[in-house]
Amino acid sequence: MGSQPKFSRIEAVVTTYLIRRLLWLIPVILVVGAVTFILMHNTPGGPWDTDPERRQVDASTVQSLESFYGLDKPLWRQFFAYMIGDFNNKGEFVCGLPCGNFGPSYRQRGVPVQAILFSPPEGEDGEMRPWYYSRFGYSLRLGLIALVIAISIGIPLGAIAALKQNTIVDYVSLLVATAGVSLPGFVIAIFLIIIFASWLDWVDVVPRSWDEIRVWILPAVVLGFGTLAFTARLMRTSMLEVLRQDYIRTARAKGLAEWAVVIVHMVKNALIPVITILGPSLASLVTGSFIIETMFAFPGMGRAYVQAIGQRDYSMIMGTTIIFAVLVAIANLSVDFIYVLVDPRIRLDE
Amino acid sequence: MRKLFALLSLLVIASMLLAACGGTPAETTDEPGAVDAPTEAAAPADSGTEEAKPAVLRVNVGTYPDIIDPQKSSFVIEIATLKLIYQGLTSLNENLETVPGAAESWEYNEDATQLVFTLQPDLKYSDGSTLNAKRFEFAFLRNIDPTTGGEYASITDEILNAPEWRAADASADDYNRDEWTAKVGVKASHADGSDCADYEDAACDTLTLTFSKPAPYFHTIAGIWVSYPAKQENIEEGGDLWWNSSKYQIGNGPFVMKTVEPFVRQYFTPNANFAGPAVPSYDIEYLYITDSAVSFEAYRNDEFDVIASAAEDLDAISGDADLTAQHITWPGSCTIKIQFSLQPTWNGMPNPFTDKKVREAFAFAFDAEGWVTDVDGDLSSPTWTWIPPGYPGYDPESPLNFNPEAAKAALAEASEEFNSAEKINAMGLKITFGDTPRNRQRTEWLVANYQKHLGIELGLDPVDTTTFTALQKDPNTYPLLSRGGWCADYPDQQNWLSVYWRSDTTFASRPGYVNAEFDALVNEADATLDPVKRAELYQQAQQILLNDVPAAFGYNSLNHYMVKPWVTGYQLTPQDAVFPGDTLPWTITVDASMMP
Repeated sequence: MGSQPKFSRIEAVVTTYLIRRLLWLIPVILVVGAVTFILMHNTPGGPWDTDPERRQVDASTVQSLESFYGLDKPLWRQFFAYMIGDFNNKGEFVCGLPCGNFGPSYRQRGVPVQAILFSPPEGEDGEMRPWYYSRFGYSLRLGLIALVIAISIGIPLGAIAALKQNTIVDYVSLLVATAGVSLPGFVIAIFLIIIFASWLDWVDVVPRSWDEIRVWILPAVVLGFGTLAFTARLMRTSMLEVLRQDYIRTARAKGLAEWAVVIVHMVKNALIPVITILGPSLASLVTGSFIIETMFAFPGMGRAYVQAIGQRDYSMIMGTTIIFAVLVAIANLSVDFIYVLVDPRIRLDE
Repeated sequence: MRKLFALLSLLVIASMLLAACGGTPAETTDEPGAVDAPTEAAAPADSGTEEAKPAVLRVNVGTYPDIIDPQKSSFVIEIATLKLIYQGLTSLNENLETVPGAAESWEYNEDATQLVFTLQPDLKYSDGSTLNAKRFEFAFLRNIDPTTGGEYASITDEILNAPEWRAADASADDYNRDEWTAKVGVKASHADGSDCADYEDAACDTLTLTFSKPAPYFHTIAGIWVSYPAKQENIEEGGDLWWNSSKYQIGNGPFVMKTVEPFVRQYFTPNANFAGPAVPSYDIEYLYITDSAVSFEAYRNDEFDVIASAAEDLDAISGDADLTAQHITWPGSCTIKIQFSLQPTWNGMPNPFTDKKVREAFAFAFDAEGWVTDVDGDLSSPTWTWIPPGYPGYDPESPLNFNPEAAKAALAEASEEFNSAEKINAMGLKITFGDTPRNRQRTEWLVANYQKHLGIELGLDPVDTTTFTALQKDPNTYPLLSRGGWCADYPDQQNWLSVYWRSDTTFASRPGYVNAEFDALVNEADATLDPVKRAELYQQAQQILLNDVPAAFGYNSLNHYMVKPWVTGYQLTPQDAVFPGDTLPWTITVDASMMP
């Protein structure tokens, strides 16, 4: 009876906080959308510009395409058509972003951006596959695996390095961290391909199918390597700080087993700054796989985004940028909740 | 803390599960009427049994196509996929001559304003359904239809009322598609001229194209991808992404699209119903690795049978006898030039390139052979003419070549305001390029070349690649000096001369090239039925073009590939796009027994 009001209060606080943060997404999306829109329309060129060494799109075709896609309308109207909706040439209202309509891809001649990013392709039996076979699904899966690799190796590596400060383990940790931060992804990728695919023959250089878990390992390691390195260094620094705290001395003085001191008192407290970077890390791992996609023929979103910028595929640029912005916002929101779980001093209503 | 660990554990398990989801690929279901040919389903698993390996040509195509729709595609890799699935009314042979494709014959009327195709008897799609002239009628009409919005829609503008329909406002209240289809010069019929019933009407074997002007070259255009007969009902049923589905990509070409794994691979098997010279004896697997280092590593690891070689691989290739033997090059389909703006002014000053002698100086000073060696690592070939080797109309005779002395002499003969390097240098000329590392290297070489041979200092003007294209679209912003070129759509002089250099075309009008005599000659050639006389007229036109020096014609592209020894029989043509012999793929043999 006594715990009921307390639970309700926590629930109310969490709900209010969640709603408040989600409402903040609206101005964030509007600002991101506006900045993206202004930048892309101020960059010379357009979606109908093709390779100058090939036949160019005829002027009358350009005119009819622009009319068909509404690109002949004033820019402010194009912006609101995308962000809210607009009436088409037949007088029907076409709902925009609020209805999950990210607009048509100009390069793919009218295919909705949401279909390109979120619709899975057909399987070999002609049936539609589950959502996680979509480009977004692939990027999300790769980002999650990369994050898991980064934290499951980075956290122990950093912790052990701190416990074994100035030993060979610490130096190896430093080496890994330096390599992870300084080596570009494409260099690590080609090294790993040569070692594991060409020399050891453990995996194929060219994946034929992403249904096998082993083909995910190299791209996920390459993608997560930077985060792994950063996590390891952060964890090491954080552990060294915790090591010198009075409560660690107290725990040892109480006669606690060393593993209990390390796991319960050191690692738990040292994790707090590491958790801070998890949100942005996940967002950057999900969205930042362009190099990985290029090296491993990975069917994610990154390449579509970069190609869209080059091709001035306006709807695709807008749609992907907004999705990335929302991902970053959601990842940061998740971190706020994890904080509360880990650190009892932090309250959502404060 | 326990909650956090639970959360992290869940994260680990969830991501692993997500990655593993779908674990076992679904079994392949045969399409109705699918051919009895080696398929990937027959590919041996890692079972250790002694099953014979299927003959599969594994090709790295590079970038995944944006769209694989016959009437909307325009890029090489898109067309390369379509060429496997479909066949047009005509085809090309190893000499790039137009030969029968789906049509067994064609005939022009006296003034070449009408072209009648007669289809081969009993044509079938790969699924066994009837392929008649009405399917080709649909293809041509869909290409012209303004709602299709294909980038190559204008390539059939010779057809009566095609440009007018293309320009029509399809959203206007009074727009009537049926009226336009009735007016456009595309008509399928029976041999006696009577109307065809529907797509199942096997006797519907005649397609008549009526032109607004003589077009004796159009039988060659009728073989390119815009005429490929994709099925109307599949396009309508398949929705926006119909083209990315093996279920809807049913064609009449040498191969059947069997499996599509977007951005990863496509798999093709031979089409037993192919009406071309022969049904291929092997499967094709297209894979999409864009990084050349990874592609080369995969080739060395025997995971690819064919890759395009890259300049950075050449050292490794030349240092290995086996790889050297597997490296082949042959002429490509492009001519690249240093284009001069011929507009009257530049930056508010008189444009030096309006003076023919200045143009001559720049053309004579371009060391094409040096370019090929220094910049392209011998993966291109020097030229001083416009139409490249292997194409009808190639004429090696040119008034231009690399001659630094002639270059200096020509500059000295220029008009007073431009007749020395000092005067030109005072103008601060710039060379504009799409800023990529490769283009920067190329442009820096050009700057050094002109400094060395003419004493002219050019400035670098790097811009974003799409901006570069946009600048070239407007005569007012057309770069003073830029590198550009043309790759053949189809092998006919009309495509090289009339489409590109006639003064009313976009390509000629943007830099400002105008020569009435040239226009008259190509117009006459375009309307001439006699192939010998036609070729002579085009040759005269090309000589006028070379004498006008609207550009420094620099080099031709070379196709350059690594090919495994078990791939043989390919017949090379300049029109090949993604693997050696892809214009005539039925000639290729893949000896699976030699594969490791």
